[in-house]
Amino acid sequence: MTIQFTLNQQTVEVAERDKDMPLLWYLREQQGLKGTKFGCGIGQCGACTVHYNGMAMRSCSITLGQAQGADILTIEGLAPSEDKLHPVQEAWMEIDVPQCGYCQAGQIMAAAAMFKQHPNPSEAQIEQAMTNICRCGTYVRIRKAIALAADKLAKEVS
Amino acid sequence: MSMHTKGDGPGLTRRQFLKTSAYGGAMLLTLNLPGKAQANQSPGAASQWCVYVSIRPDNSVLMASPVMDMGQHMKTAGPMLLAEEMDLDWSLIEFADSCPAYFKLNADGQAEYAYSDMSTGGSHALRRNWDYMRQAGATVRRMLVEEAAARWQVSADDLRTANSYVYHPDGQRQFSYGELAEQAAARQVKPQAVQLKHNDAFGIIGTARTTVDIRQIVTGKPLFGMDAEYPGMLHAVIARSPFIDGQLLSQEAQAAKQVAGVRQLVNVPRRTEASYNGTTKQLMAPGVAVIADSLWAAMQGKQALRARWQAGAEGKSQDSEAQLAEFHRLVSDADYAGQSGISHKVRLAEGDAKTALEGAATVLDATYEVPLFAHLCMEPFNCIADVRSDSATIVAGHQFPDKVVNDVAKATGLPPLNIEVISHRMGGGFGRRWEVDYVLEAVYLSQQVGKPVKVTWQREDELEQDCFAPAMVMRVRAGMDKSNKVIAWHHRQAQTRGGARDRCFPFKLVPNYLSEHLDYPSQIATGAWRSPGHLQWAFAAESMLDELAHQAKQDPLAFRLKLMQPHKAYPHEGFGGELIDSGRMAKCYEKAAEMADWQRPRQKGIGLGIAGHFTFGSYAAFVLEVAIGAENRLHIRQAWGAIDCGLAVNPNHIENQMQGGFIDGLNAALFNKADVQGGEMVTKNFHQIHFMRLSEAPPDVQVSIIHSQAMPTGVGEPPIGPAAAALANAIFAASGQRIRRLPIADAIRI
Repeated sequence: MTIQFTLNQQTVEVAERDKDMPLLWYLREQQGLKGTKFGCGIGQCGACTVHYNGMAMRSCSITLGQAQGADILTIEGLAPSEDKLHPVQEAWMEIDVPQCGYCQAGQIMAAAAMFKQHPNPSEAQIEQAMTNICRCGTYVRIRKAIALAADKLAKEVS
Repeated sequence: MSMHTKGDGPGLTRRQFLKTSAYGGAMLLTLNLPGKAQANQSPGAASQWCVYVSIRPDNSVLMASPVMDMGQHMKTAGPMLLAEEMDLDWSLIEFADSCPAYFKLNADGQAEYAYSDMSTGGSHALRRNWDYMRQAGATVRRMLVEEAAARWQVSADDLRTANSYVYHPDGQRQFSYGELAEQAAARQVKPQAVQLKHNDAFGIIGTARTTVDIRQIVTGKPLFGMDAEYPGMLHAVIARSPFIDGQLLSQEAQAAKQVAGVRQLVNVPRRTEASYNGTTKQLMAPGVAVIADSLWAAMQGKQALRARWQAGAEGKSQDSEAQLAEFHRLVSDADYAGQSGISHKVRLAEGDAKTALEGAATVLDATYEVPLFAHLCMEPFNCIADVRSDSATIVAGHQFPDKVVNDVAKATGLPPLNIEVISHRMGGGFGRRWEVDYVLEAVYLSQQVGKPVKVTWQREDELEQDCFAPAMVMRVRAGMDKSNKVIAWHHRQAQTRGGARDRCFPFKLVPNYLSEHLDYPSQIATGAWRSPGHLQWAFAAESMLDELAHQAKQDPLAFRLKLMQPHKAYPHEGFGGELIDSGRMAKCYEKAAEMADWQRPRQKGIGLGIAGHFTFGSYAAFVLEVAIGAENRLHIRQAWGAIDCGLAVNPNHIENQMQGGFIDGLNAALFNKADVQGGEMVTKNFHQIHFMRLSEAPPDVQVSIIHSQAMPTGVGEPPIGPAAAALANAIFAASGQRIRRLPIADAIRI
């Protein structure tokens, strides 16, 4: 028996005996996908945020067993191609959000998932969706980048 | 410690020389020039500097910053200085991920930087590299120009450079740097021919530049120590004592060894050293290391180990709440303090504060309390050590690579120059990455196991083993005369043993001034916490100024501006600068207030608070607008901050630091509190210590940078200082509640 799921558009298989392993450690240690970060291990900080069936989830708190059949997307799979980044990534670059940068992949994944649900999010929706900790306190620029990303996404649709 | 802050050059009076070597088809120019001896280094030791620049034939450039990034943006600012003086086209530069570390031995046999200063802390990285990097850039530029002059057979002084090209005076001919580099690298230039630019000729310094690693960060590239791999390495997770001076009670070693992937257990002994302040400092916590093939296996092994600990004899009496209560007693009861046997120090005394207070028309007496602050670096600590019989390699993110080398040399007996340090980007430092515990653990385990070992901490480890910002209780008695002029100030502070501040305003501005300090012999570990002691000091001082202004029925801004009169630069003996200037401080207050439209009345329930502070050579002031709503709920609406950090090298990143640093300070004021009970650190993870989320932070922090041609000073720490007082003062303006105890979220809901 194996566990199967989709990871960044590729089907992956893992042994049933690893069903209790958190997705975070599978990504980092078995797939070498280091963009998903370890911060607290208890689902609080959000540094390990990935998309689970399109929703932002803390990968430290999802086991491989729970990933069975799911569609998982990490920061490494967010950009449509090497040359074309996701509009949220572009906005993060243009606003130059990061300080230390450690939490930012998780912040970007949280924002990208929010835009799937709310293409033009209200202040309340932003505050509800963006619960990741930035220890450097880059929240002012995160808000600006979200506003810019909303503009970019609106242009892509039109 | 004092620092040279003058912008003068290094006095290139000695012979300079250049080494060249081929590097992957491009020229590697290694500048190895005698520079000026820095005031903070041992006198007489030649302070040498070097930068690495490869100029490729296609005119692109590979550049490395001497200082690693931890969010302070030095990986961008360092290259800016060099590129400016080289007249480089910024868009042609490729930035190297790694930061080469080079050491030499000093007279005491200790390693010190062979070239530029690679450490980051005390908001000094930019300042310490300002001369080095510019001189290096100007020297490279001159070498290229002289090479072009020789080819054209014209005078080098007639040539112009811009955007990585040398231009002939005829306006027709030009050479790219790439065409000149190989021959230019062999040239020797006269020191007097090397000219630094005047500030008004800057084209890169003073302009907004984006984080050089930005693309790697937003695409999740493995930049951090946490992401680093090493051939043949094993993973270690350590079950450490959460108690001060703790002892192992029991463990289930067999269960741990049965976890798939676990190889062995290694006991880690407690290691201590005598600290500068007479205490015993723990270098390594006692623990049991689980060595495994993967980090996940090691973590599972630690869980299966079920190590149980008990407090040591000395440690078990330690209780952070009880100590705070003791601090209150020490500052309020002079007789008790006198009999307590606790070291009591008069740190500053000017005039006669006690007599002046007796004669004052108005005296306010208020006590301010601040708990232990935890660091909570976003990236948990980690280090790879590969210790061999004759050498060692250390892979880590650390603020002070020279400390790493010297401490590893001490621990292993290896010659310092046989120890290589490979630095990675750090997920925060905040002073905690001054400590070497996580490095020494990896070194010890590599020695024991005989293989490269990577130690990774979990969040619980990071909190349990933190070296906190000292908790403190500060009692301020301030007196005003009949005209409401502040004539006396008596600051009396009791705290967890550790560092303290006091050479801050209103010192020098109040004629009768007394600062006393009671250093409580706590066993709770303390260390540097971003702008050490400044937020705490400013919480007391700037809250008291606010209380005095309201007592005098004066506008808090006007009251401060009057206190800053006459505008004057006073000698400053503390770390961070030779002068402290009330005029520069006043300008920051004025600018922040102007941006906030300070005089505009706000509706009921909304208030503005102002606070400012001088930290490490820079001045920062903030105005914060808050609302206090139903059920005493706090809503932080907006902030405006002004900073004078001398010449603004990268306004983009100064703004980012001002926003983030102020939010870090607000977070500390509202939430940051670590608790020790019975010698155990009981605050374990983010579910017990809240950190500010986006919804709680001010939606906007507008920043103004005061125009200045002064020597650039730091921006990493100055925004922190004013935060707690600005918030407390704003809450008072909005609601009439005077907050004198942190964390504020204990008293007011957010």
